[in-house]
Amino acid sequence: MHDIRYNEVNDEIIVPGRSSSILVFRGGAHGQEAPIRVIQGPDAQPGGSRLAIDTVHREIFSFGRGGIQVFPLDGNGNVSPMRVISGPDTQGPNSSIAVDPINNLIATVGRGGESILVFNRTDNGNVKPRNVIRGPRTEIDRINQMQIYPEKKMVIIAMPGLQGLMEPPRTFVGAWSLDDNGDVPPRWKIEGAGTTIKKAFAVALNPKDKEVYVTDMRLNGVLTFFAPKAFE
Amino acid sequence: MADVTGRRSTKTRPLMVLASIVVAAGALLTPTGYAELVSFQSFGNEMCPLPGPVDTDAFYAGAPAAGQAAAARPEERQPDQLNIKPARYIKDPGPAWSAVAVNPENNMVVLTDENLHRIVEFGRLDNTPPGAQLTAPRREIGGLDTMAEMLCGVYVDPKTLEIRVTNNDTQDWMPIFSREAKGNAKPDKFLATPHQSFGIAVDEIREEMFLTVQGASAVVVYRKAASGFEAPIRILQGTATQLADPHGIAVDVKHDLLVVANHGHRSGTGGGPTVFDPKAWEEAFRRPNSLHQMQTRRLFDAPGARRGDDDTEGGEENLASITIFARDANSNAPPMRVIKGPRTQLNWPVNVAIHEERDEIFVANDAGESILVFKLSDNGDVSPTRVLSGPRSGLNNPTGLALDRVNGELWVANMGNYNVTVYPITAEGDVPPLRTIRGGPADRVPLMIGNPGGVGYDTKRQQVLVPN
Repeated sequence: MHDIRYNEVNDEIIVPGRSSSILVFRGGAHGQEAPIRVIQGPDAQPGGSRLAIDTVHREIFSFGRGGIQVFPLDGNGNVSPMRVISGPDTQGPNSSIAVDPINNLIATVGRGGESILVFNRTDNGNVKPRNVIRGPRTEIDRINQMQIYPEKKMVIIAMPGLQGLMEPPRTFVGAWSLDDNGDVPPRWKIEGAGTTIKKAFAVALNPKDKEVYVTDMRLNGVLTFFAPKAFE
Repeated sequence: MADVTGRRSTKTRPLMVLASIVVAAGALLTPTGYAELVSFQSFGNEMCPLPGPVDTDAFYAGAPAAGQAAAARPEERQPDQLNIKPARYIKDPGPAWSAVAVNPENNMVVLTDENLHRIVEFGRLDNTPPGAQLTAPRREIGGLDTMAEMLCGVYVDPKTLEIRVTNNDTQDWMPIFSREAKGNAKPDKFLATPHQSFGIAVDEIREEMFLTVQGASAVVVYRKAASGFEAPIRILQGTATQLADPHGIAVDVKHDLLVVANHGHRSGTGGGPTVFDPKAWEEAFRRPNSLHQMQTRRLFDAPGARRGDDDTEGGEENLASITIFARDANSNAPPMRVIKGPRTQLNWPVNVAIHEERDEIFVANDAGESILVFKLSDNGDVSPTRVLSGPRSGLNNPTGLALDRVNGELWVANMGNYNVTVYPITAEGDVPPLRTIRGGPADRVPLMIGNPGGVGYDTKRQQVLVPN
């Protein structure tokens, strides 16, 4: 399971299931408690192992059908997606995603895993991304989890390094503006020996306390960074 | 005023020229508002040549307008490097036992540790005294050179005593270590394996090795001696197989059977027979990053593979099960029997073992906190023959399981309490173990963080959510 999102409006936890599904649990769920909603079925076909949610417009962003699928946040059962971004111009299939409900943008990972694509939140069909962040200056080898800080229009990624390496030579948590385009380095990076990061795999934000949470797949650990810079 | 010595291009702005200038006494000039060369006197040997005309357009090209600082181009910016210590750090210093193998003839008990990424060996009779923190292993294999990371299956070759381990989520190969390997040892051999390989079993008679592949809901069968990028000789996959997120696997050479434990998740894999081209398989596995790219359900749609027509999309969530196949089942072959249903108590069955003389299947029932024993002939929604479970049993998220038929003992690797526990093979109910090998303090609760692939923040409870 490579993603998890908390819906603070409804106090729910949303995760991608292991059977082409989206599972929604109560926020306080514990033990072997069943999900309260499951999106699954031949019309739905949510895919991939990551997702994002938009509690303002009440949507879930998942994958499938070769691209990005958008479901209602309250969806249950075999529901069809409301929108599907898919086609040769979209540079999919995609593997990770985050949504900005304030600026109405989504950021996702492009085919090959080494780029950040920015679409309009309401895009549908075979559309080109409005921005593509890709190139050697980005230092992106692959991306696992992504987050967006809408207040500053920033996308933050966990970059674990090349697949198959036990401790890749470079790994970081880095941020770009959603207006960035082309072969540009990140605006900031949590990186370096002092961070103790070996293979950054996931990232979450806590703007209120200026904290950035990072999981590390080599350490099997969870690191909390106090990083006011990330929220400036 | 005409400039005798210099030139003033129509394009140039006035330049202040500093040279040895002697202002002729009494020479009065009308101010023009511009700097001008007003006098020149040669000293005989010029100290420096006068500058020629300057193309000021080129000189000032790219400069910011007056009052503005120069802006770096985006591609040239330097990221703010936050090389900061974590304010808090959650990590378990102890092991997370995931699998166990026993070779009683050579007094070997080998375990995989999914947290610290290592293989450890104990003696069969090791038993941690009550007052001790833990028992140190007699041998450890771990480190960056080992190609061993998120370990979940282990096999000890009865003849060579080689150790084979399966990497699950993060490395796509099976390293093989000799009896002598220890520390940060390079594997003696490796085999490139599909992403999310889990369980391992070997048919010693036909020299075939079986691996389960979780996400693809498949079983791949290799020559036992396979190494490098060699392709499997058979693949069992398809809707009819009822494989659904398969984990543990065991071979029964006496009855010619294959037994697989399934968690029940199925992500819409193809329904029909899958045919694959071994040459294309090897070529695909040799490509960089191709192993990870082949993790999806279309693993066997690699170049050269052909899929049947009965392709069911959409995925399904089903009950956990034990599927029993003919040993040489291939392609989309159905199981001969399926143990499945609420009476079975199956709940995240992980590793399985077969006692051929007793005709019994043993199941490490992780989320059920139990060891379940079924008859080999069981089918459908049946209750287990025996259940080992309870607070005195010491079982806590049992994941690994092995049988010592020589000494009549059942070995269990527990992920939930750092313990390896040993019981009589016929143990039932809430009975204490015969022996316990502890890998960490008895009073510490393991975190069971394994490959944390995501993280979220619950703003209401101020809790960090970490799925594994």
